Amino acid sequence: MTVTSLQEVADGYRQPRSLGNPILDLNPITTLCVIVALIVTGIALGGWVPSLAVCLLFMVAAVVAGRGRTYLPLILKLWLGVGLILFLLRALLTPGHVLIPLGRIAVTTEGIEQGLAFACVVMAICGGVTLFFEFVPMRHLTLALERLGVSPQASYVLLASFQAITDLGATAKVVLEAQTARGVETEGNVFMRVRAFFPVLAPVFLSAMAATEERAIALDARAFNSSTRHTSLVELRRTRRWEPVLAVALGVIAVGVIVGRALGWF
Amino acid sequence: MAIELHDVGFTYPDGSRAVSGVSLRVEDGERVAIVGQNGAGKTTTVKLMNGLLKPTEGEVIVDGESTAKRTTAQVARTVGYVFQNPDDQLFAADVRAEIEYLPRYLHWDDAKRETRVARAVELTGIAPHLDINPKDLPAAIRKFVAIAAVLVSECRYVILDEPTAGLDQRGFALLGTLLDRLQGEGIAVVTITHDMRFVVDTFSRVVAMAAGNVIADGPLPAVFCDDHVLNRSRIRRLEVAQVARDLRLGDQAVSIDDVVALIP
Amino acid sequence: MVLAELQDVHFTYAYADTPALKGVTLTLEQGMLHGIVGLNSSGKTTLCGLLRGIVPSFHHGELTGRTTILGRELADWNPDELATTIGCVFDNPFTQISGIRDTVFEEIAFGLENLGVAREDIITRVIQVIEQLGIEALAEKNPNELSGGQRQKVAFASIIAMDSDVIVIDEPTSQLDPEASEAVFEIIAGLKKLGKSIVLVEHKIDLVAEYADTVTVLHEGRVALTGTTREVLTDPRLRSFGVTPPQVTELAERLAASGRPLSRVPVTRAEAVELIGERMREEVGGGYRTA
Repeated sequence: MTVTSLQEVADGYRQPRSLGNPILDLNPITTLCVIVALIVTGIALGGWVPSLAVCLLFMVAAVVAGRGRTYLPLILKLWLGVGLILFLLRALLTPGHVLIPLGRIAVTTEGIEQGLAFACVVMAICGGVTLFFEFVPMRHLTLALERLGVSPQASYVLLASFQAITDLGATAKVVLEAQTARGVETEGNVFMRVRAFFPVLAPVFLSAMAATEERAIALDARAFNSSTRHTSLVELRRTRRWEPVLAVALGVIAVGVIVGRALGWF
Repeated sequence: MAIELHDVGFTYPDGSRAVSGVSLRVEDGERVAIVGQNGAGKTTTVKLMNGLLKPTEGEVIVDGESTAKRTTAQVARTVGYVFQNPDDQLFAADVRAEIEYLPRYLHWDDAKRETRVARAVELTGIAPHLDINPKDLPAAIRKFVAIAAVLVSECRYVILDEPTAGLDQRGFALLGTLLDRLQGEGIAVVTITHDMRFVVDTFSRVVAMAAGNVIADGPLPAVFCDDHVLNRSRIRRLEVAQVARDLRLGDQAVSIDDVVALIP
Repeated sequence: MVLAELQDVHFTYAYADTPALKGVTLTLEQGMLHGIVGLNSSGKTTLCGLLRGIVPSFHHGELTGRTTILGRELADWNPDELATTIGCVFDNPFTQISGIRDTVFEEIAFGLENLGVAREDIITRVIQVIEQLGIEALAEKNPNELSGGQRQKVAFASIIAMDSDVIVIDEPTSQLDPEASEAVFEIIAGLKKLGKSIVLVEHKIDLVAEYADTVTVLHEGRVALTGTTREVLTDPRLRSFGVTPPQVTELAERLAASGRPLSRVPVTRAEAVELIGERMREEVGGGYRTA
């Protein structure tokens, strides 16, 4: 890398962080509130249509934000892997008006209705959570939380937990590789893999625990426990005025729908 | 019997090219040191020898059979590989279980298991630590435990990745004895190392790598007396050899002995 | 002022049966590069921990004797203040980075953020350190995905960035190739020129000989030898404490053994060239051999 491009990297930190799209650049807390409010509204309205509409809305949002290429395949897998199974279970096992008899079980009208509703509700929740992590880097979330007064220690725990998942996976891979390298079969069928994987699980966790202690000392050496107010190299964009308004408005709608349903208005 | 690499190339799935056009042959009982800068392709090369990686071009043949047709574990029972960091390899609750893991996995009978375990323990000098959890041992001893856990197999070739890193003088001496014993048994040792003193004191054949290619392969002077090779592989002469050169006593000295002989 | 003064220091880790330090008495001056060598488990890392205060505040155990750091007793130091006064890098590069930053640039900035340094000053400082270590190519990489050697450099850079007056480094080059190791030593020498005090644990004795001002040999938790680099590395007892002398010193020993001693025992390459050259000129009376 040339000197000019180090300057470019540095210049990147001189301005607020942008992911290059107005939706992605929403304050992470706004994004969180909007997604939660939409899910709650969808579910509270009841039936499968509102939940499915929320699911579709999330997909549209992903496409508009330029994240369709990663979000849509993931959601498709979730629909096939989770949604479809939930639907089938309900459709086949709910007693009621028999549409298609299949020996001792049968597809019933009630089953289809309940299955659709249940699958759509679960998928709205899954879709929302997935969308949030697609849109918001964890680091941005912690920066937003710190701006609201959350301590750097708390945001460390959050970030480190997510990193730990990646690290554990990487360690497990290396340890398994080392076992293969001494003649333990880790390729082939599921049984072989499980047999090789089981004994390494405990040590992988143990080494992660041991690393935690050393890392605590390393953090201390980096003045992490200093009582001075920490500054931040990375700066989030300023939250626009209308963002909290939007979040609160959607929240009010969600609460309104719940209350409305409870009181039997619709 | 030998490990043969025929014009081998390897490209990682992410598209990065690690080695290309590598041809090497390691005979039974031979000792080979592979040297070169970080990123020169040394680790990829030994992983290809052990079957952890399968070549994307060319062919790797171990004892007459291509590694492409066998699983890594099958190749590994002939070509053992001791990782640089013992913590990546050790997982059992005590040293004995660690060494016995492979024999039990392979369902060897008691007699065979006991003989092989006793040999591995004796070769590596870890007998006093058998009942201790490897995690509680000092790094240098963990290293020997990791070597023992590999030597317990019936491998004919052993790959050691940076065996002297973190070893003190005592460990260094123990490692030297171990290598001699292995050679006596006809087991070949291939090592990756940055420690040129170790290379000069313990090896007679050295392979220098740079940018994914083998740039020199032969007796020590083939690398240590060739400025072109030294520059490309970023390897240094021993300090004493550099002294001889600075004094214009010639550039053919490799070891301390060579230099002592040159000085009037 | 003296960097550190230890008087009859004993330390036993809470979980251990035998002491890690057994009566260490040692004085380290400021503004120098102090090399610490010795066999594995001879107490080197414990000594580093003590200078940095994590022994006994983090690694608990029984500590006796007197430890004075920069004129103040260890017990009187506020741990946070000591942490920023004495920078410290340990040898496992995988645990020496925060693990929560997305780029090397941000990783190096982490310590400065914690000290509350303003953004523009952080940026200037990080650029400076990246250039100093020549790791421009890593600036945008994810620290969690680097190789051991690369992480070692980043961990070192991160401590340098904090500009503490004293730096304790435990085997900074264990994962580096010879060229990169030498580069790290050049940087350490540069830090010394800036007036920093450095305590360095290192197995590569030729580099220690070249760069250190003093050397302390630890053996079974005791100070076996301590003094100027020359005094210690030419001491005939050195080997008995498990330390191999520098190659040029070994060369001089071998020459002496064959009845051709040099006028003085060298510890660095430059010295060896000078001494042997001198002898060659005298002996051959001008019949200087050229290759």
